[in-house]
Amino acid sequence: MKINADRASGLFFLLFGLALYLFIIPTFVEQVEGGWVHPDTVPNAVAIVLSLCGALLMLRPTKHHTQEASEFVRAGLYFGLLMVGLVLMGRFGFIYVAPMIALAIMLLIGERRPFWLVCGVVGMPGAIWLLVVQVLDRALP
Amino acid sequence: MVDLSTILAGFADAFTIWNLAFVLFGVVVGQFVGAVPGIGPVMAMAIAIPFTFGLDPLPAIAFLVGVNKGGLVGGAVPAVLMNTPGTPDAAATAMDGYPLARDGKPLKATKMALFSSVTGDSFSDLVLITVSAPLAILALRMGPVEVFALMVFAFSVLSGLIGNSLIKGIIAAALGLLCASVGTDPENYTPRLIFGMFDFYDGLPLASVAIGTLAIAEILRRLTQMSGQVKPAVEVKDTGNPQDMRVSWAEYWACRFTMLRGAMIGTVLGALPGIGSTAAAFMSYASAKSASKDPGSFGKGNLHGIAAAESANSAVVGSNLIPLLTLGIPGSVGAALIISAFMIHGIQPGPLLFQDQGRLIYGLFGAMIMANFLNLWVGQVGLRFWVKVVSAPESIIFASALLLCIVGVSMATGGIFGVIVMLVFAGIGYLMSSFGYSVVIFIIAFFLGPRFEISLSQSLALMNGDWTRIIEYPIALLLLLVSIISIWWFLRRSGPDTTKSSQVTAED
Repeated sequence: MKINADRASGLFFLLFGLALYLFIIPTFVEQVEGGWVHPDTVPNAVAIVLSLCGALLMLRPTKHHTQEASEFVRAGLYFGLLMVGLVLMGRFGFIYVAPMIALAIMLLIGERRPFWLVCGVVGMPGAIWLLVVQVLDRALP
Repeated sequence: MVDLSTILAGFADAFTIWNLAFVLFGVVVGQFVGAVPGIGPVMAMAIAIPFTFGLDPLPAIAFLVGVNKGGLVGGAVPAVLMNTPGTPDAAATAMDGYPLARDGKPLKATKMALFSSVTGDSFSDLVLITVSAPLAILALRMGPVEVFALMVFAFSVLSGLIGNSLIKGIIAAALGLLCASVGTDPENYTPRLIFGMFDFYDGLPLASVAIGTLAIAEILRRLTQMSGQVKPAVEVKDTGNPQDMRVSWAEYWACRFTMLRGAMIGTVLGALPGIGSTAAAFMSYASAKSASKDPGSFGKGNLHGIAAAESANSAVVGSNLIPLLTLGIPGSVGAALIISAFMIHGIQPGPLLFQDQGRLIYGLFGAMIMANFLNLWVGQVGLRFWVKVVSAPESIIFASALLLCIVGVSMATGGIFGVIVMLVFAGIGYLMSSFGYSVVIFIIAFFLGPRFEISLSQSLALMNGDWTRIIEYPIALLLLLVSIISIWWFLRRSGPDTTKSSQVTAED
């Protein structure tokens, strides 16, 4: 399914800019008296520019099309996999989780050859451990 | 501004064994990753930056320059062998390189690309070394008002030139400035937009944002385009004729004017922010074709086509550093990554660099010259090997690149929080690319954001808050007027529904 994305993204930036200007910046930026540029000056200017450009983009869209919806789904799958991997890495450490992440990604890509799977799952994390811990004397996540 | 002893000391630093080893390592890594379709020097630089923390500034930056220069040479290998450029700049090289490879002359094509690349690169490095110090003296005469106006000018030109829509370019720049405003503001040191997370007190981590948007987002894009099939290895034809495996001196010399023209086009375009090496390569290719007595042979395996494209795209690398070193404004994403390496090592890019860090800068120039020689040497020795590299399975390359990014950002930010920020920006970068917003403008605006705000604040202080006093600063006024004219011109040029449907990638 091909869609013209500019009107959708223009609408998003129009609403995002308004949300920034009306809610997010007043709530999350402290007001300070004095000085030439207040803490909210640049964020407010950016919010206005985003809203105006979003509106302009809705009026003057290009012919840009996004990729197929299935690609977004696949991207979401990889994104979710990495996010889960990072949470697990924070709990169990790189040494245990990195081979699993590598294995999952290689299998998702379609790799089935044992040699390359072993290289990715054992060889690469091992090489990284050697470089970071032994050579650079730094800690792995 | 810089005395001779500083220049000589800088060059001497570059020629120490330790620094040369890092340049060599950078060139090897660059050629390797350039030869792998889908990685490219920009992604490699982004991944490598955190690993250079433990180094002194010169070897660290020289290593990154080596990666950048080597990557451009390596990028020609898959362009020639598979008609799949490893870097966007090499797309023009594929037009004549691939037909040569199909005729059984892959080594002749890749060697011509190597020689042209080194020739163009050396030319632009000489221009950089010659003009950057005098330009920095001129830049030092600029005050905050002029710097502010210059940044507005840079944003307007970058927004118009990169990507397929001025409006989208401005949105990308605005997003970059918004992300740069997270953390304490530079005038009052008040936290803003940190949403209760004190890890953001010093702003969004540079490494997380750069690696997330440039490297991980690009990997995600490539992964989603693979449909569960691992690409087969490339079959390289070989005629067995020694003449088809090398470039003779006569063949090289016959391309001298083509290479010179390409080097000049690349140098001029590289010095202008936002145009980039891809445009230079195609412009040089077109001019070589129009100047040729046999234009019909272009696209069918003409060595002049390879010479034109490669000399121009490599010449951009050196001259890209002219606006960076003289004004502190990166003209491309590669330069933006080098600027981030400068900042990570506590060095503020800009005209004062020559005054405060003259030895380092001339050391960098020395390293760049050595990188060209080493590119030639490594290329001669390694081309046969890089030809094999293009057949490495993407599965292991992307899995390894992801793990390296995670470890690199974790080292740079000191924990898993920075890695999660990286992943969030990978999602943002992926969506930006998918919807046609330039990640390059976003990153450059993010890097320049704090300086933009400081110069705005200083400008207002100088003018006592009265913008009509801008007429007292004629250069700033001129730059602002040119910015308005260029925005108007770009808007007119890109009327509704006139642009092509295209993907904007991390290296556009």
